[in-house]
Amino acid sequence: MEIPLNAQYIRNLMMGAHATHDHIVHFYHLAALDWVDIVSALKADPRATANLGQKLSSWHGNSYDAVKASQERLKTFVGSGQLGIYGSGYWGHPAMKLAPEVNMLAAHHYLQALEQQREINKVVAILGSKTPHIQNVAVGGVANAINLDSQSTLNMERLYYIKTLIDKAGDFVENVLLVDTAAVAAFYADWTGHGKGVTNYLSAPDMPLDTKGTTFALPGGYIPDGDVSKFQPIKSYQDAFFKDNVKESIKHSWYDGDWDRHPWEGETVPKYTDFQDKGKYSWVKSPTFKGKPAQVGPLANVLCMFAAGHEPTKKYATKMLDTISALAGTKVGISALHSTIGRIGARSIRAAVLYDTLKNQWQALVENIAKGDVTTFNPPTFPSGEQRGFGFHEAPRGILSHWIVIKDGKIKNYQAVVPSTWNAGPRNSQDALGPYEASLIGTPVNDPEKPLEVLRTVHSFDPCLACAIHVIDKDKNEIVKVKAV
Amino acid sequence: MAKRITIDPITRIEGHLRIDCEIEGGKVTNAWSSGQMWRGIETILKGRDPRDAWIFTQRFCGV
Repeated sequence: MEIPLNAQYIRNLMMGAHATHDHIVHFYHLAALDWVDIVSALKADPRATANLGQKLSSWHGNSYDAVKASQERLKTFVGSGQLGIYGSGYWGHPAMKLAPEVNMLAAHHYLQALEQQREINKVVAILGSKTPHIQNVAVGGVANAINLDSQSTLNMERLYYIKTLIDKAGDFVENVLLVDTAAVAAFYADWTGHGKGVTNYLSAPDMPLDTKGTTFALPGGYIPDGDVSKFQPIKSYQDAFFKDNVKESIKHSWYDGDWDRHPWEGETVPKYTDFQDKGKYSWVKSPTFKGKPAQVGPLANVLCMFAAGHEPTKKYATKMLDTISALAGTKVGISALHSTIGRIGARSIRAAVLYDTLKNQWQALVENIAKGDVTTFNPPTFPSGEQRGFGFHEAPRGILSHWIVIKDGKIKNYQAVVPSTWNAGPRNSQDALGPYEASLIGTPVNDPEKPLEVLRTVHSFDPCLACAIHVIDKDKNEIVKVKAV
Repeated sequence: MAKRITIDPITRIEGHLRIDCEIEGGKVTNAWSSGQMWRGIETILKGRDPRDAWIFTQRFCGV
C-alpha cells in the first residue's frame, strides 16, 4: 500500500527529532560520566574553562558567566552532601584523564543538554500529541489534520515553531555535541584501539521520500568484515537481501529449544535455566545476518552511509575526524571509528546528518502542503487468508525490524528484532560472541573492583533493554559483585 | 587465574543488563552479555488486530 507524502514527511520529522533527542541524552547523560570526572570539574578555573570552550566552538552558551553558574550549581549539589545521581561515579579513577577545565566544560554542557534534549523532543510531542507513547501513527499514514486556516490543526504557526526547534537543536549538535565528542575522542585517543568487536555492520535505509518507500534520504545496508568496499545496499522495504538473511538463534537464550529461525517462523516460549556459562544465560535472542552476528547502531549507519557516498555523512565525518586530528595532534582516519570511542563519535556524526535531514523534510512537507495536498491517511485493507509482512527503521540504536504473520485479519505471529537484540545478544548457535561480548575482549581493566573501562565499552552501544516485564532478579556464583553507576 | 566479575545491573541505560567478564593480566579475556528480563509482547499480540500492533510495540528500543 502507499503512504501519503505528508504522512511520510511527518513520520520522518518525528523520527529525526526523536533520534536527535536520544543521541544528545546518550552522550551527555548516559555515557559522558564514564570519561568526565565531575569532582575534578569543581577544581577548574571557570575563566580558563570558558576560554577553552570559546576556542573550540562558536556556541553562544560558553560565556564565563554561564560556565561559572554551572560550576556553582555543581558545588551546591556536592556541598549538600547528597551527590544523588553522581553519588556512585568512579571519580578519581586512574582511567579518568581529562584536565579539570575539560571536565568542567563537559559538565557545563551536560546541564545545558538537559534543556536541549527537552526542546527537540517537543517536535515529537507537537506532531505525535505527546512523547513518549505518541498517538498519531496509523497503518496507512498519520492521524494529523492539516488545515492552514485552523488554530486546532497542523498549521503554519505550528510548522514554524517546529522549524525553530529543529534549528536550535542543530546549532547545539553541530557546535557542542560534535565538538565535545571529538574532544573526548582526541583526549582518549588510545580508546580508538579498544572495543572493536564484531565488524559486520548492518543498518536500514530510512526517511522514505516517496509514497511507496522506494527512495530514502539516508542509505543503509550491510558491510561484512569492516570492509567498506564490500558495502551492499538495502534498496527498498521489499528488498529480499534483507528479508531473506535475518535469523534468530536461541541456543544460549532462555527460550524452549535450540534453533536458528527466520522471524516469521520464530517462537518466544520461555524456559529459564539460571545463568549457565556454556548453556542458556540471557532473555535476549541472538540475531544473525547471513549466518553471522552483526553490529548495529550509529556506527554501522554512518559507515554504510559513508560507503554509499552520502554527502552530508561525508561532510560531518570529515568535520569530526579533522577536529579529533587537530586536538590530538595526529592524523585520525575513518578506521579509528571501529572502536569504543568510534561508536560515540559516529553517534554525533549521525545527529549532525539528522539535522540536515530534518531541515529538508520540513521544507518538503511545507512545499507539499503549499501545493494544496492535505492528505495524511490511506485506509489499509487486509485480504483474507495468510499474509506475511515486515517493516524496518533505523532507530537511534540501530536497525529495528518487526515481522508479522496475519491470518484472516488477526495477528498469528509477531516477532520484533530490535537494535539491542543485535548488539546485546548472547553467543549464537555457532557459539560466536555477540557484539557487546566481542567488543569487551581485550579491554584493559585497571581495577576489577572498579570496572570503569568495561562500562565505557558497554555504554558506547547505548544499551536499551527496557521493553517489558522484569521477571527475574537473581545471580549466583560470581566472585565479585559490583554495582556500578 | 582469571578473575570473574559480574556487573548487575549496568546503570545509565534503559532496562536490565548484566555483564560478566573474566579478567586476566589486566585485560578482559571472556565476556557474557545477559538481558535480565523477558519482553513477552509477542505473546500479548497474538490474535489482535494488526492495526493495533504499533501502539503496543512503539517503545521497543528507545524510550
